[in-house]
Amino acid sequence: MKKYFSIITLTMMFISFFTTTTSFAKVDIGGELNITLSGVLFREGEALAYPQGSLDLELYIPPFDNNQIKSAAYLYTNPTTGQMDFMFKKLYFRHKFDKLQLTVGRQPISWSFGSMLNPVDFSLGSVVMDEETGSKYQNAIEAYYPINWNSSITAIAAFSNGFKNVKWAIRGRTTLEGYDLTLNYVREAEQNSTETMIPVSQRIGFSAKGDLGPFGIYGAIGYNFEDIDSGDFSFLAGGDYSYYFESGSKIYFQLEYLSIKEERLSSLLGSLALLDSGLDSESNANLFLTRTSYDINEFSAISLFTISSLNDFSTIIMPNYSNQISNSLTFNCSFAYFSGKENTLFGPGLIGGIQEKPKMTIEAGFIYSF
Amino acid sequence: MQKVKGFLLIGIIMSILCSSLMVITAAEMTAEEIINKRDDNEYFDTAQMEAEMIIASGSRIITKTMVAMTDKKNSLAEFTNPQDRGTKFLKREDDLWMFFPDAEEIIKISGHMLNQGMMGSDFSYQDVMESDKLTDLYDFEIIKEEELDGRLCYVLEGIAKEGVKVSYYRRVSWVDKERFIGLKEELYAQSGRILKETKVNKIEEIEGRLIAVDSVMENKLRKDTYTQFIITQISFNPEIPEETFSLQNLR
Repeated sequence: MKKYFSIITLTMMFISFFTTTTSFAKVDIGGELNITLSGVLFREGEALAYPQGSLDLELYIPPFDNNQIKSAAYLYTNPTTGQMDFMFKKLYFRHKFDKLQLTVGRQPISWSFGSMLNPVDFSLGSVVMDEETGSKYQNAIEAYYPINWNSSITAIAAFSNGFKNVKWAIRGRTTLEGYDLTLNYVREAEQNSTETMIPVSQRIGFSAKGDLGPFGIYGAIGYNFEDIDSGDFSFLAGGDYSYYFESGSKIYFQLEYLSIKEERLSSLLGSLALLDSGLDSESNANLFLTRTSYDINEFSAISLFTISSLNDFSTIIMPNYSNQISNSLTFNCSFAYFSGKENTLFGPGLIGGIQEKPKMTIEAGFIYSF
Repeated sequence: MQKVKGFLLIGIIMSILCSSLMVITAAEMTAEEIINKRDDNEYFDTAQMEAEMIIASGSRIITKTMVAMTDKKNSLAEFTNPQDRGTKFLKREDDLWMFFPDAEEIIKISGHMLNQGMMGSDFSYQDVMESDKLTDLYDFEIIKEEELDGRLCYVLEGIAKEGVKVSYYRRVSWVDKERFIGLKEELYAQSGRILKETKVNKIEEIEGRLIAVDSVMENKLRKDTYTQFIITQISFNPEIPEETFSLQNLR
């Protein structure tokens, strides 16, 4: 089914592209080459290191006759097989009608509003601590209806598992008194396989972001349910602040609190999810997140993320250093240290009773933009 | 027709860039009239430009390129250099929105972030957004006349009006006495410390206006850094559809 969806999208793109006057000379290719050396240290002292490479390749096609085509491919080293793998991040066609924008094809869908974690995103875990994940990219049809310059309604049908199990969503966005407000509804399709059957799940979410004096503040509330009478809430509250030194440097702080049912953590945290903790899956996990960043100069910065479980006080500490070496070359180095008692959320233990959780990870590499 | 101040990356640069060719006798003019005379040339209905921003720190130099449009108090800028390609900023009144091209997300920038350098440059987001008439924000007076790079200039001091929110408490401007174009400006904190200095390197006549097509801003709090801003193409009063300055157009 996915194949048919891509074929339909491609056909629409080619028909549109070749029946217009767009000049091939204006088409451009750009992207990013990312070469990284990664290392993992386990608690028993075992360590492993491996190189990773990825290539983001985007074809830039100028808009034509209210049409837009976007194509971005992603080649990467599959960490499981060690082989090069390939996926389309974007392969979509967009047409702008007078009052409606229609987008068909593989496209990034996420509803970030500035938080580090987003419990009311289209797909939980699309963006984790500023890092995007694969769940962000969807085969979908999106209808975007702008009401005025800052208000809109978006309807989405996503076909993550073919045309049978369609995920539906609708989202409204507006600005009121300087606050960016969104209200959304997501209906996950029933997932049926030989091993599991996940029933239809639904969510209503609300988010707000704005300023309170010198502070930026934001929050979100989500209500997840199968039946409207029996659901669970997730809450997010956060804020950020910048302090400027006389030297012209700046330090930035961001704090965030999240309460969410434990069973949703694995989706929400993406690759940071190291579950099999002692938490009761029916209870809510309470997380406290911080981000501190300092610009050393115009081109380099250091930052520190932490994410702590308030239930068991386990923590991940993630320092990061980045340096833009030239117009096209950037160096990045990041580190993650997992601390906590045995079988806590981020502490030592086994994932799924098999795989040992890491004690620390380190990644260092270069990004070349072209 | 209501005249409005343009974007031209950016308010502060524009505050020293444009001027008319009219010659007016100095003795007849007050500081406010001089600033208004200079500001009158910054006002246009719409403008569209292509520009380069060269950010230097020590021996390292990074170049960013962009296209920008302005209409009344709204502005839209899109970066076109490889590393930032597709990154867009939309300024509407006092709000700033940013579009991240990879993620295709539109995020509202927190108010406190507006004082930080835009895309690593010495221009802050606040510099971009400060689009009110300078005489509405500052009380100006002529403090002296002096020669700058062979041009006789008025030197004007502006102090922020009480209760008005501005990025810089005090500004000292060198305005060409004959051409009424800003050639240099110093920006100060309330403590008296100099924060930034802008100087014009090159002026060209475009569509009957004198435009500073090459200027440099130095952050005086940092050593060996500057941002050079070069206008490579500009047109005044092109037709820009109203929906250009909307979140839907950021996508």
